[in-house]
Amino acid sequence: MALKALDIYKLLPKKNCKECGDPTCLTFAMKLAGGKADLDLCPYLSDEAKSVLGATTRPPIRLVKIGVGTKNFKVGEETVLYRHEKTFYHPPGLVFRVTDTMPAEEIVAITRRVRDEVLTRVGADLRFNGIAIENVSGSAETFARAVETVEKVEAHLPPVLISKDTAALKAALVHCGTYRPLLHAATQDNVQEMCALARQHGCPLVVRSGSLDDLVNLVKTCTADGVTDLVLDLAPENFGEFIRRSTAVRQLAITRAVPDLGYPVYLNAAETGQEDAAVALGIVKYGSVIVTDPLPSGSAKAALTLRQNIYTDPQKPIQMNPGIYRVGSPDKDSPVLMTVNFSLTFFTLQGYLESARVPCFMLIVDTEGLSVLTAVAAGKLSEMLVRDSIKTFGLENEVSHRKLIIPGYASPLSGRIEDATGWKVLVGPRDAAEIGEYLHQEWKK
Amino acid sequence: MRTVTFLPSYYKIDVPRGTTVLDATQRAGLSMNVVCGGQGKCGKCIVFIRSGRAEFDRQKYGRFFTEPELQKGGCLACETIVQGDLHVFVPESTLIQEQKILVEGLDHEIEFHPSVRKYYVELHPPSLADPSPDLSRFLWGIQKSGGPVAEKMYAPLAVLREMPSILRHSEWKVTATIGLVPGGYRVIDLQENDTSKRVYGAAVDLGSTTIVVYLWDLVTGKVVGVASNYNKQISCGEDILARVNFARKNGLTKLQALAAESINQAITSASNSAGIDREDIYDVVVAGNTVMTHMLLGIDPAYMIAEPYVPVVRRALSIAASRLGIACNPNGGVYAFPAVSDFIGGDIIADILACGMGEREEISLLVDIGTNFEVVLGNKEWMFSCAGAAGPALEGGEVLFGMRANPGAIEKITIDPVTLDPKYSTINGIKPRGICGSGLIDLLAELLLVCVIDRTGRINTGIEHPRIRKGTHFPEFVVAWAKETDTGKDIVITENDIKNLIMSKASVHAACVTLMKEAGVTHKDISTIYFAGAFGNYLDKKNATIIGLIPEIDLKDIKNIGNGAVTGANIALINRRARKTLDDIAYRIAYIELNAESSFMDEYTGSTFLPHTDFSLFPGVQELLDSCRIRKE
Amino acid sequence: MPFEMNFGWTTPIGEVVLGATKADGGTRRISYRIGGGTTLPFLESSPSSPAPLIAFEICDNPDFWSPIVKDYCGDVVNNANEWAKKADADYGADLVRLHLTSTKQRNFSDIASLGSVVEGVLSATSLPVIIEGSNEPKIDSEVYQKCGEAGQGERLLLGTAEAGKYRSIAAAALAYNHSIIAQSPIDINLAKQLNILLKEIGVQRDHIVIDPYTGALGYGFEYSYSAMERIRFSALKGDTDLAMPMICSSADTLTIKEVREAGDGLQDETAIQWELFTCLAAATAGAEILCVRHPGTIVPLRKALAGMKQPAQSAGVP
Repeated sequence: MALKALDIYKLLPKKNCKECGDPTCLTFAMKLAGGKADLDLCPYLSDEAKSVLGATTRPPIRLVKIGVGTKNFKVGEETVLYRHEKTFYHPPGLVFRVTDTMPAEEIVAITRRVRDEVLTRVGADLRFNGIAIENVSGSAETFARAVETVEKVEAHLPPVLISKDTAALKAALVHCGTYRPLLHAATQDNVQEMCALARQHGCPLVVRSGSLDDLVNLVKTCTADGVTDLVLDLAPENFGEFIRRSTAVRQLAITRAVPDLGYPVYLNAAETGQEDAAVALGIVKYGSVIVTDPLPSGSAKAALTLRQNIYTDPQKPIQMNPGIYRVGSPDKDSPVLMTVNFSLTFFTLQGYLESARVPCFMLIVDTEGLSVLTAVAAGKLSEMLVRDSIKTFGLENEVSHRKLIIPGYASPLSGRIEDATGWKVLVGPRDAAEIGEYLHQEWKK
Repeated sequence: MRTVTFLPSYYKIDVPRGTTVLDATQRAGLSMNVVCGGQGKCGKCIVFIRSGRAEFDRQKYGRFFTEPELQKGGCLACETIVQGDLHVFVPESTLIQEQKILVEGLDHEIEFHPSVRKYYVELHPPSLADPSPDLSRFLWGIQKSGGPVAEKMYAPLAVLREMPSILRHSEWKVTATIGLVPGGYRVIDLQENDTSKRVYGAAVDLGSTTIVVYLWDLVTGKVVGVASNYNKQISCGEDILARVNFARKNGLTKLQALAAESINQAITSASNSAGIDREDIYDVVVAGNTVMTHMLLGIDPAYMIAEPYVPVVRRALSIAASRLGIACNPNGGVYAFPAVSDFIGGDIIADILACGMGEREEISLLVDIGTNFEVVLGNKEWMFSCAGAAGPALEGGEVLFGMRANPGAIEKITIDPVTLDPKYSTINGIKPRGICGSGLIDLLAELLLVCVIDRTGRINTGIEHPRIRKGTHFPEFVVAWAKETDTGKDIVITENDIKNLIMSKASVHAACVTLMKEAGVTHKDISTIYFAGAFGNYLDKKNATIIGLIPEIDLKDIKNIGNGAVTGANIALINRRARKTLDDIAYRIAYIELNAESSFMDEYTGSTFLPHTDFSLFPGVQELLDSCRIRKE
Repeated sequence: MPFEMNFGWTTPIGEVVLGATKADGGTRRISYRIGGGTTLPFLESSPSSPAPLIAFEICDNPDFWSPIVKDYCGDVVNNANEWAKKADADYGADLVRLHLTSTKQRNFSDIASLGSVVEGVLSATSLPVIIEGSNEPKIDSEVYQKCGEAGQGERLLLGTAEAGKYRSIAAAALAYNHSIIAQSPIDINLAKQLNILLKEIGVQRDHIVIDPYTGALGYGFEYSYSAMERIRFSALKGDTDLAMPMICSSADTLTIKEVREAGDGLQDETAIQWELFTCLAAATAGAEILCVRHPGTIVPLRKALAGMKQPAQSAGVP
């Protein structure tokens, strides 16, 4: 449980000494509560306060780094069960699987695809994160060769090495041992050797069991052996079991009920028989490393998009870049609709405008992602902002009229916007769904 | 030049052809109700041209008038151009009315210990045997007559220059005015003979709309005069933002002068009615919001209205009155309240001082509502504050028949649950002209109780009743029929008005809850809610709770402190220790930026319901609504 | 499981019955009881509540329908009865959701015809049916009256009540004993407010299905996802005004650029995958009726849902 500012304040010395850089202990407490300040800044903390406050700042799920260089990815350090409680921090690595029985060309092609494929959405480049090489041949040599083939592409992708055979892993590590590959997997049968390998190469290690009890024991063994960068494979028999175990692990970890489950979760979608669905479930239900056979275009994009959605900070709504957006091919007489840069507001309005088939301009002003309603209430949407936006984005050059349609919820500002901008303000509907009708009836007048 | 004669007062003024009638009224000294600042937008400056030639576009502004009004020569003063000599009738409703003055005091006594005192001393003239300098002789004399210790006092150069002649001319019988200033005491003034019974102070609430002045006799500790008038800055913009913009365009000097002038006017009228000389006023305490205070001090307020919202100064300031153009003794001082942030200003610090929440263990919630609202939560140990835009709905703006708390405003309403007929009372008991904030809150609560509106404020047009109509743009409820009203028009409240009111109340409530969450307290932990602000005194506490403007607590624990700003200023004027605590209070308050609080949006939508989406926060209201709904079925 | 997850839930999700069989005075061959969940979706180790239902959406005027779906389904889109039949027999839906898109035409006034459209679809399929009425306040009242009447006894699910228009649909539902979809714009508070409004005019909890509105995947879906999670969470924590089953439609997902412009030969696959991802995520967040428009989504979706409902330790992947 995160502590409230006041709870923290009660533990502070209340000297208002300003040595932390804040004017009062209360404002310092507010920063601590929001995770915006470091406890060490206070020189007068009692030991009791330190232990209480310190415990709440240590992440309940370990951060595990996979791969090296610019393409490494980090998973874990999550703090909540629901994204709305705070946010999900580290998006799962989506890793394409190759097998060592594939022809080299195919391995190369898949590796290149992971290296090159990019989906650009809402200003972000979305990519797959790594390449998993599975030892299905049973031969250490073949496995090592497949790994070598991947490495020769020089894609520098974080590798996942999947084999039950430690000898095979050992052979493969010759080719990628310094790249922090994720090793899969330590089980009851091989945990000692796996730990030795992981320790030797400084690799993160997957521990696998269908029983949470066994997982806890495996984790204890590994950590006792000095291997602490662990990932949990819950070995689910079906989707239901995955959801149940993954939820259990997350809940028991973040409540610190079972600290030994405080590690990221691994899911091999390729072994579920329905990869696309498995990837979707892995993304929403706490998967952190998701291995899958290369996805076809449709599901590949859907997966990257779903991951982007789920891992968006719900408290920081995706913001559109402020500016002028066109719907259809508007001309000098086309209507101008002003709204905020909260992405959902933008997309909703844009969607209805497109279906209304009225070419128009959208003037998007920067309310830092607040919706119209909240931006008005909190004073973020103001006539000055509208005036400055019209100037900055050169709206005057786009249209020959001087009429601005504002959202219904901004109607309290209509007079002030007119005064500040000199534009005639028309108050549009509150609900974007009515914009088509509104434009057909009002704009034509 | 053309002569414009105003009826019914017969004020005459000569103006050049081409002047607007609004300009002419202002030059004639008539204060008009100009909400839009003379842009032809608000339709409030209605006048009637009785004779003469003037230019006015009836086509364009016809929507503000009824047909008979147009026939009688109805015009908007701001859009009417003087062409020839004119006779213009100005209806009373167009003029700014005298506002109700809040004289609510406190329920406890304040120790009388002003910062300024006069001491009459009779000194021994110097001699060869006693050659000490004039100043030390004088300061010793004061100390001996019960004044501060001599070493802690200092005399400014202006006083020193006058000192030798005044001492000798008065034959060493003088009255000194000593004021407490940071770091010591200052000799403010030196007068011949005994004037020690004549020392006054003024406590000023510098509001963006209204200035209120309390004039105190600092010897007897009695209020000798009270006056209020409109803030003359209104001519530069109705709201604060407009004025800051005006200041940006080289208008700061004018705004500073207007602020001083407005205060002076109130001080003058209070002095006149008390029969005292303004020269005897030595101490002026001003509580105003941060922007108003900056403007009075002539400090550029522009930087605090845009990110990162930084005021120039937060701490309290003492300034010589003459430097601000305040009409009191030129050596007198002006004390300006400190502030917390751009939005939590001296007026709120004054509220806190008035209600005493900063001195108690128990947690209190202070809510000050105007166009903007400010909320403070806390006790003697900690305080959180925030501010936001309530929108003008709660003050009667953005509501079709909304108006300020002026004569003719419906201020109280009940609705009969069976007949749906309202019973109302108006300010001054005259025929209704509109509805003010307290009336609107009553109306909202009553409409909910009698099931005319649902919990989102939508009017149930399925009810067949002459008072419930489809309306031109929105469904509406008729509060007063044309035949009952002063304007001859039906006074209605529309669904859109109700929506605006709900949005306003939701902002206030969401702000309260945001602070409560930040502090980790619930409504059960709040011992007292204090209402401050213009309509605080007239607000029906029960109805305010029913609509969910404030958290539900026991009604007896909700207190109206009325104009807390002036009460706080009064306290700071008459009690120097209280004044000393102000910087500390301001310093202790943490400000929470609602924009940065992600939960605010959630709290806000939760609050856009009557009383709230979460009924558990309003158990009493819920019970009441259930029972009245059962009665209805 | 050795470790118990303790969430402290107090209240099960309320149940809503869709469709009436002969025994209940209707003509449906099956009726569904949805809701009843006692924890987060799919967490019961021996699942007691049924898997989410899959509704196939059709309309009586395909002018505004996704061209991808129209191309895939062919001529049948022009005949609501045939389309409904196909949804039932060929596509394998659990429910048919009929959108009366004809009411979207300008100055639509032939309200009498809607009754026969509804009757036609009800006779073309014996699955329970969801009817989406008009979007035009002026004709709402008559349209819902007509739909309600035409489906009398069939326990329809009528859509869509919103905060701004709920009285006429509620009147029709109350008069003919149908249930209502209560839609609010992706906000837990607004969802609750609407449920309270409905309750206060007499609509029982067991006649309400919440539609928190599903934004398109990539265009606001995350808000819908969290709104659904929060609604389910609050319901289980005891907020009875939110303890109703939820419905999700992936309809918006077909209108977005990524799907519309998927490229030749990829459109169906893309549409199916995006609907599948949307519906699966919505199901984990609590949706119990999943509406799709592409027939190809139904099979993979059903397969995945079955997997999600499987109990522990059944035969499965090693």
